[in-house]
Amino acid sequence: MQTLIAATLNGLFMGSLYGLIAVGLSLVFGVMKIINFAHGALVMVGMYAVFYMWSLIGLDPYLSLVVVVPVLFLFGYFLQGKVINPVLKREFGRNGHAVILLTVGLTLVLQNAALLFFGAYYKAAKTFVSGMTWDMGGVVTSVPRLIAGVVGAIVILGLQLMLSKTDLGKAIRATGQDREAAGLMGINDYKIYNIAFGLCLAILGIAAALMLPMYYVQPEAGKIFEMRSFVIAVLGGIGSLSGAFYGGLIVGLIESVTAQVWSATAAEMLIFVVFIGVLLYKPSGLLGK
Amino acid sequence: MLRRLRYPSYFLPFLFLLILGLLPFIINNEYILQVFIMFLFNAYLASGWNIISGFAGQLSLGHAAFVGIGAYTSTILFVQWGISPWIGMIFGGVIAAIFGWLIGYPVFKLRGPYYALATIAYGEIIRIFIQNTKAVGPIELKGAEGILIPFKGSSPALFQFETKAAYYYVALAMFLLVLLLSYKIKNSKMGYYLSAIGNDQDAAESLGVNTSKMKLTASAISAFVMALGGTFYAQFLLYINPQGVLSGDFSTEIAVIGIIGGEGTVFGPVLGSLILTPLSELTRIYLGGRFAGVHLLAYGLILMAVVTHIPHGVIGTFSKLYHRILLKLGDPVVSAKTGAGKTL
Repeated sequence: MQTLIAATLNGLFMGSLYGLIAVGLSLVFGVMKIINFAHGALVMVGMYAVFYMWSLIGLDPYLSLVVVVPVLFLFGYFLQGKVINPVLKREFGRNGHAVILLTVGLTLVLQNAALLFFGAYYKAAKTFVSGMTWDMGGVVTSVPRLIAGVVGAIVILGLQLMLSKTDLGKAIRATGQDREAAGLMGINDYKIYNIAFGLCLAILGIAAALMLPMYYVQPEAGKIFEMRSFVIAVLGGIGSLSGAFYGGLIVGLIESVTAQVWSATAAEMLIFVVFIGVLLYKPSGLLGK
Repeated sequence: MLRRLRYPSYFLPFLFLLILGLLPFIINNEYILQVFIMFLFNAYLASGWNIISGFAGQLSLGHAAFVGIGAYTSTILFVQWGISPWIGMIFGGVIAAIFGWLIGYPVFKLRGPYYALATIAYGEIIRIFIQNTKAVGPIELKGAEGILIPFKGSSPALFQFETKAAYYYVALAMFLLVLLLSYKIKNSKMGYYLSAIGNDQDAAESLGVNTSKMKLTASAISAFVMALGGTFYAQFLLYINPQGVLSGDFSTEIAVIGIIGGEGTVFGPVLGSLILTPLSELTRIYLGGRFAGVHLLAYGLILMAVVTHIPHGVIGTFSKLYHRILLKLGDPVVSAKTGAGKTL
């Protein structure tokens, strides 16, 4: 029973972290209507950024956010502005294959550039929370996971507040709802796109810092999170932030509990089966309309 | 017919064919021949992918699943029961086609990016399943370890040859057959239906095209072609594992070749392979493991450049160039059509 409670707790914490990563994907889709196939590669970029801040300067991953978040925001801003927007402008109103392929190309570039420059070795940052556990009367949970879960939820909440209360947030949502109408209201739509992509990368930077005490960094480290994000974003209704959070919790629970009572392979497959099921029967998401 | 061979638009293709046919006699270098085999093989796979993703515009990023089904079916039949891979190849093709049909039935309800996501998902399910399953009843999948195929010496009946040249001819035959198939489909009623679906599915439907039947048929044909390729892959390398033949990267590579060449055209995938295969094989041979990832890095950069600057693939540029050459050679067939000619 205690192991099952621990599995549930771990599932919820992981789910919150997955949710945070999926929120980035969902935000980009909600605003620009593109599915970013480079999402996992960008998670990996964030992880390397945090890792090297730790290994070169000795900055703790949690502290390094002060540097990593603004840098990644700018990286995202210019990536959208210089690389994605030109194709988006040309392809306006078409089926969107071109943008998918652009992000597939970006994945290949980022992943293999990492392989080339940083090697295929698994790198790990040992921080003061790595390997720390917390025993709550027999239910043991890992501290970095707990922190990731709690901070993940707080960041999602903060983002949601920002989107609903601030002028910038309203402009972002307006652009997502109707780009042309937003443009007529004096919103610079392509600049909003840049900001949205920058925000997505900033979120991934935070996620990367939360992950570093418990995950190895390597060129394909982001892949599993990308797959999870696709599943979660669709599950929660793609484009919806709160949906992504709940979707994250569901996937985290499926993963952790199935692995506990059955096997890790079964968990892995079950997630994809649920994914295809939702795609087929409720593409708007379990929580969508 | 023979008189027409005087015209460049007829004798140039024949010349290419002749060169391809005689290549093993011209080239003694095993490495270079290997590059040509991979060129034919990649062009074959990308052409198979093109039937559903190019002609019908349904972007699949999970086609390695079908290659894997073909490779695993013929290999297991051969290794465990001694059935010749030539027969196993057909079995694999049929199983993949049935699978392509069955999976297409629900998945084709999805449009655009959602369809692409679903193809990734079924590709992953199959990979994860095989990678973590040692055996299903009497069928030994061997999980992540992969299956080694015993080499029985030169035995054509068992799809095993001692020389690279023999594999080259098998690949060439498969390549030519898939081109013929593509050409036939493209220029048939089905090809027009598929292209209508690719352009605007709702419009096609309202004009009376049975879109789901067309897509299912194209998907089954495409899966069949991929699976035959899988058997070739297994017999050529004599080893298969889920991380190789079923990987998402492999799926992406097939799609990238087709797209860079020009999806939806008969010769686009061939051109894509002509550009990308030497790049990947030569970097693999000369840079080896020391610079792992160089060829995929180049793939990525080229893909991004093509998507940004030549959205319909290099086939358009090449087509114009080819017609200009024909005109220069004074071809009466092409000049009679004021240089426009047939589209490739």
